Amino acid sequence: MKNKNNYSKAHAKYLKKLKKDKIIVYFWRIVVIALLLGLWELLATTGAIDPFFFSSPSRIVTTIINLASTGNLFIHIWTSLYETIIGFVIATLLGGLIAIILWWSEKTRKVLEPYIIILNSLPKIALGPMIILWVGSGPTATVVMCVLICIIITIISMLNAFISCDNDKILLMKSMHANKFQILFKLVLPNALPEFISVLKINVGMSWVGTIMGEYLSSRAGLGYLINYGSQVLQLDIVMASIVVLCLLAAGMYALVIPFEKKFKKS
Amino acid sequence: MEKFLQYKDLSYFYQTKESEIHALNHVDFFVEKNSFASLVGPSGCGKTTMLSLTAGLLEPSNGQILLDGKKIEKNDSRIGYMFQRDHLFEWRTIWQNIILGLEIQKKHKDTKALALAEELLKKYDLYAFKNKKPRQLSGGMRQRVALIRTLVLNPSLLLLDEPFSALDFQTRLNVCDDVYEIIKSEQKTALLVTHDISEALSMSDKIVILSARPATVKKELQIEFSGSTPLKKREDDNFGKYFELIWRNLS
Repeated sequence: MKNKNNYSKAHAKYLKKLKKDKIIVYFWRIVVIALLLGLWELLATTGAIDPFFFSSPSRIVTTIINLASTGNLFIHIWTSLYETIIGFVIATLLGGLIAIILWWSEKTRKVLEPYIIILNSLPKIALGPMIILWVGSGPTATVVMCVLICIIITIISMLNAFISCDNDKILLMKSMHANKFQILFKLVLPNALPEFISVLKINVGMSWVGTIMGEYLSSRAGLGYLINYGSQVLQLDIVMASIVVLCLLAAGMYALVIPFEKKFKKS
Repeated sequence: MEKFLQYKDLSYFYQTKESEIHALNHVDFFVEKNSFASLVGPSGCGKTTMLSLTAGLLEPSNGQILLDGKKIEKNDSRIGYMFQRDHLFEWRTIWQNIILGLEIQKKHKDTKALALAEELLKKYDLYAFKNKKPRQLSGGMRQRVALIRTLVLNPSLLLLDEPFSALDFQTRLNVCDDVYEIIKSEQKTALLVTHDISEALSMSDKIVILSARPATVKKELQIEFSGSTPLKKREDDNFGKYFELIWRNLS
């Protein structure tokens, strides 16, 4: 039995169920966050928890509005945002380039392999004091921290993607007389695109880690600074408000990667 | 009898960490022009090594391989290679896959080569899929695309490395027929490596049986069947007899 949309009744029913399931998931997502926020607010207003230490949703909103009205919030957002974006771009491009060089020269790769592994397991925050000594405190130090945190994992992931390219495909290229440049640009790089997108997604998160760490270490502006400042003057509202803004920014940047991924999957 | 592809006292050694492996030992045979030959032998005997040497991807340790009287060189444009899997690039359309070799050899603006690509696509019922992606095609169609990708470079010798082994049996029989017909009508000489005796029998004019490693030619068989396509050849009365003979030589 076909209806006007060319679906059988059973198929239409199935599609309807899929749609219903999706709505249910969305509904419960909203319920969960509403319940949590409601409970938090209730506990804070009844005095079951001390809003001085735990803040409350309404106090967070008020703090954000206050910070925004003085214009301070935007200075901090802008500082963190540009540090993160610069760090993210440098780490991704430079990491990709280094991965290409290591793919190109097997000898270089073998020589550098142990050092890359050591650098990967090293907690980058340990390098903080050195970074400040070398490049000074402020945005540059934050960007350097951000790059350090993202670049090693970028190199390792991209290099693995390049190396895992099917050997028979490389042989096919060679049988058609391709040189190494052609193998790189026509096969290895396009073949590694899915891995590149997952690296982008990982780096969005990691670059925020780098920025906040960098700002904790030494800075006069940025959301990391604001969080640090809030905790030092015991203004948990500021800390919480900064975290909320940070969540929104990170989610926004992640969302920017999604259409890129979708476009690739379609093509 | 024109000796088109000729193996003259060919030997090959390769090095591993543990030892030196003697892969091929004084291999000596020839393939006639526009004929279809198959190499069969126990697994690991060096059949694929033979193809890599013929394609110029490896250098013989001793002896030589001649094509049309001339030594095969690295990047020899007279040779086309077809692999076990189609290896179509998923991010390229069928058309872009087909002209991959032309792009590599900077011939993608050569109108004659492009016309040949178009003609082959039309002739073998793939023109409607020109702008589709490989994943939208069936396994058999993908193998046809892979063959055309090789043919647009206009090689005179085609090397086929078990090109049907990744297909299910039904598809395999049909693709065998298709590929055979294409190779015959384009007047190419072909050398097929396979572990499937029936497949070798149904497609070849000549079968060369190799021994276990170090491989040497154990027996050469001229095959003559009444049918004109691989499927019809399988129905020939003598098919079983040839099969027996090869089987005995292999075990």
